[in-house]
Amino acid sequence: MRVTQSMVSANSLRNISSSYNKLAELNNQVATGKKITKPSDDPVVAMKGMYFRSNLNQVEQYKRNLSELHLWMDNSEAGLEQATSGLDRVRELLLQGKSDTNSVDERAAIAKEIAQIKDDLVNVANTQVNGKYIFHGTDVSNPLVTNGTPPTVAANINDPTIDNYTVEVSQGITMKANISPSTTFNQEMFDVLQGIEDKFNSNDTEGLDDLLGRLDGVLNSMNRERAELGARSNRLEMVEARIDAQEVMATKVLSDNEDVDMEKAITNLSVQESVHNAALAVGARLIQTSLIDFLR
Amino acid sequence: MASTFMGLETARRGLTAQQGALYTTGNNIANANTLGYTRQRVDLQQSESFPSVGTNAPKMPGQMGTGVVAGAVVRVRETFLDTQYRSEASKLGYWENRSAALGNLETILNEPSDSGLSAAMDSFWKSLQDMAVDPQNAGARAVVRQRGIAVAETFNYLHQTVSAEKADAKNELSVAEKEINTLLSQIDQVNKQIGSIEPNGYLPNDLYDKRDGLLDELSKFANIKVSYEAPGGNALAQAEGKAIVTLVDDKGNALETLVDRDGAKQVKVNSNADDTAVQSISIGDTVVDINNFNSTGKLKSVVESYGYVDQNGELAGTFNDMLKELDNLAYTFATEFNKVHEEGLSPNEIKDGDKAISFFADSESADGSITDRNGFASRMTISQDIRNSLDNITNADPSNPTLGDATYVSKLAEIINNKYDYGNNSEQSNFRNYFEGVIGSMAVSAQEANKMAANSATLQQTVDNRRMSVSSVSLDEEMTNMIQFQQAYNASARMITVMDELLDKIINGMGVVGR
Repeated sequence: MRVTQSMVSANSLRNISSSYNKLAELNNQVATGKKITKPSDDPVVAMKGMYFRSNLNQVEQYKRNLSELHLWMDNSEAGLEQATSGLDRVRELLLQGKSDTNSVDERAAIAKEIAQIKDDLVNVANTQVNGKYIFHGTDVSNPLVTNGTPPTVAANINDPTIDNYTVEVSQGITMKANISPSTTFNQEMFDVLQGIEDKFNSNDTEGLDDLLGRLDGVLNSMNRERAELGARSNRLEMVEARIDAQEVMATKVLSDNEDVDMEKAITNLSVQESVHNAALAVGARLIQTSLIDFLR
Repeated sequence: MASTFMGLETARRGLTAQQGALYTTGNNIANANTLGYTRQRVDLQQSESFPSVGTNAPKMPGQMGTGVVAGAVVRVRETFLDTQYRSEASKLGYWENRSAALGNLETILNEPSDSGLSAAMDSFWKSLQDMAVDPQNAGARAVVRQRGIAVAETFNYLHQTVSAEKADAKNELSVAEKEINTLLSQIDQVNKQIGSIEPNGYLPNDLYDKRDGLLDELSKFANIKVSYEAPGGNALAQAEGKAIVTLVDDKGNALETLVDRDGAKQVKVNSNADDTAVQSISIGDTVVDINNFNSTGKLKSVVESYGYVDQNGELAGTFNDMLKELDNLAYTFATEFNKVHEEGLSPNEIKDGDKAISFFADSESADGSITDRNGFASRMTISQDIRNSLDNITNADPSNPTLGDATYVSKLAEIINNKYDYGNNSEQSNFRNYFEGVIGSMAVSAQEANKMAANSATLQQTVDNRRMSVSSVSLDEEMTNMIQFQQAYNASARMITVMDELLDKIINGMGVVGR
């Protein structure tokens, strides 16, 4: 084939420019740390990248939702503990006061203490966390109990629709954050307390055994709820561990998909650099001479 | 017997012919770097031998050569390579332009990244999740409103930027139209000049080069076929004649003549009635429907980017398709979101009774209701109710009108993951998948365009290399020729000296025997 000066110079220019192009691409990879900068570089990587990114975002969000669950469960647990110890004390006082050795004054003192405990239970039942009444199901803006003689609980306490304050922990899976108001701070509890207080106030021991039975019922129901809450706390820990693992996985998959392998990219870059230098050097030499240089 | 002066005449012819060849060599060297220049050579031919045949011709032992004559000065060029080059040029013109348009689209959509539409959607979803956890919290509600605005604004931005890109394509289209017409009229003028020179027995090599350059330019815009009309008069056999340029489709069928002996036709791109897309292309008086315009080239690619009316009378084209997909996404998402939002109860509704409050709205409809899918992405906004009060954002199930019920916030968040008929074609998919599909198909087209552009560039370079191999000036070769012609010139001059000495011998030195 006949080769001319313009062909050689055009070819050499083209080669230099294509090698410079590759150099720029590798530079870009090293500088951004990404395999691709636009979807057409690799459509599959791009589409997977979008999916993995959303996935990671979701996992991060679910992880954040868990902190709200912790907040609710820890506060509920604390409230229940306080309520149980209050009720235990009432049971003690009841057993103590039932004995006929007690004088009227002593029984009145017991009634006062029970009244204090009752007020305290009203406060516990109306515990607010971040401005929300946590023992009132989803009706978080209204107090559960109105103080009185006896204290009255809100009318919707047995309404199953408000029973579940749920938080989503992964797609389509929710966890209940609250404890059921109907089985803990219910009207029965306050009625029993009021009944006991009234009996001691009026120095009347008739029917105290019956009240003792009802009090045990209330305690049992509260302990059941507490046990249930404890079990749910365990489940929360498991969910948390799983989400942590998912987060690590999602980050890894995202990175595997689109992050550049630095060692490889930098090696390629320096290889390309020497190729480019060679292309430049050869280009400079090729165009130097022609027959004219050798003619006298 | 030959004439006494025959040798002189032969040598003189040699001198003039070699001189002409040297001048041509000089011209080649001077034009070594001229774009589109084809190297020339003098067609050296033997002059007629002596004696010529005839009844009265003198009888001699044999015919004797009488030297050389310079025939025509011709271009060294292979027309077959021109045809190949032009067919690759039209492909390159098409794919280069398409790859640029899709590249712009990719930059605008900016996926995958932490700042594109999917990132805005993810943030919106996150804010809904935060609100679902704590539905009463005014902060969480404010974030939902702001992220909702961000989603609407992202759609607005994308729609506007793609539309601006479409407007640019329209400018590009009118520039292309103008360029084509300029090229056609230039080709016509050169044709006419050639037509007036050739009958006089000359080869207008410079005009041929100019015309070939113009044809190369024109071939970038569309697939063309060039044929030549034989010149009349006293034209040389090598004369090319007037070029007849025909627009052909990709199967090689002629669509319409662009330039013929009578002149150039005007190419015009005709828009539809709304001036939003290309309807047809007219060449002179012939109107070609855009769907029958299958001539690969930059013109077709710009039309495809800008938009055209397809066989079903609907708008098609790269930018139009993307605008349509954005509308699909925005419209379906906003209407489904509103449906759920209107069903649920917001704190204000719990207080004052149920009314249908929508979250997203159409900025250009009177009551904000979303009814027009076409162009909705550019008009998507947040409803006035939501702007007025954060407590208009829904949270509760109608069966449980309490502030802590987040059933409907979760439902709102789920809309992003639920399957709907986004494409308006009875196929169900969720927002992320649908958008991934849109980006994916754009990416695949862009990748194809990039590859095809690179391929046709390589093919064009190969053909161009072969063409240069035939036609471009090699200085080494010209130097060799120069020496060759110079030596031949010198030798012819020496022949004259020899003849002179011969004549001197017979004129001055003969018949003086014994003197």
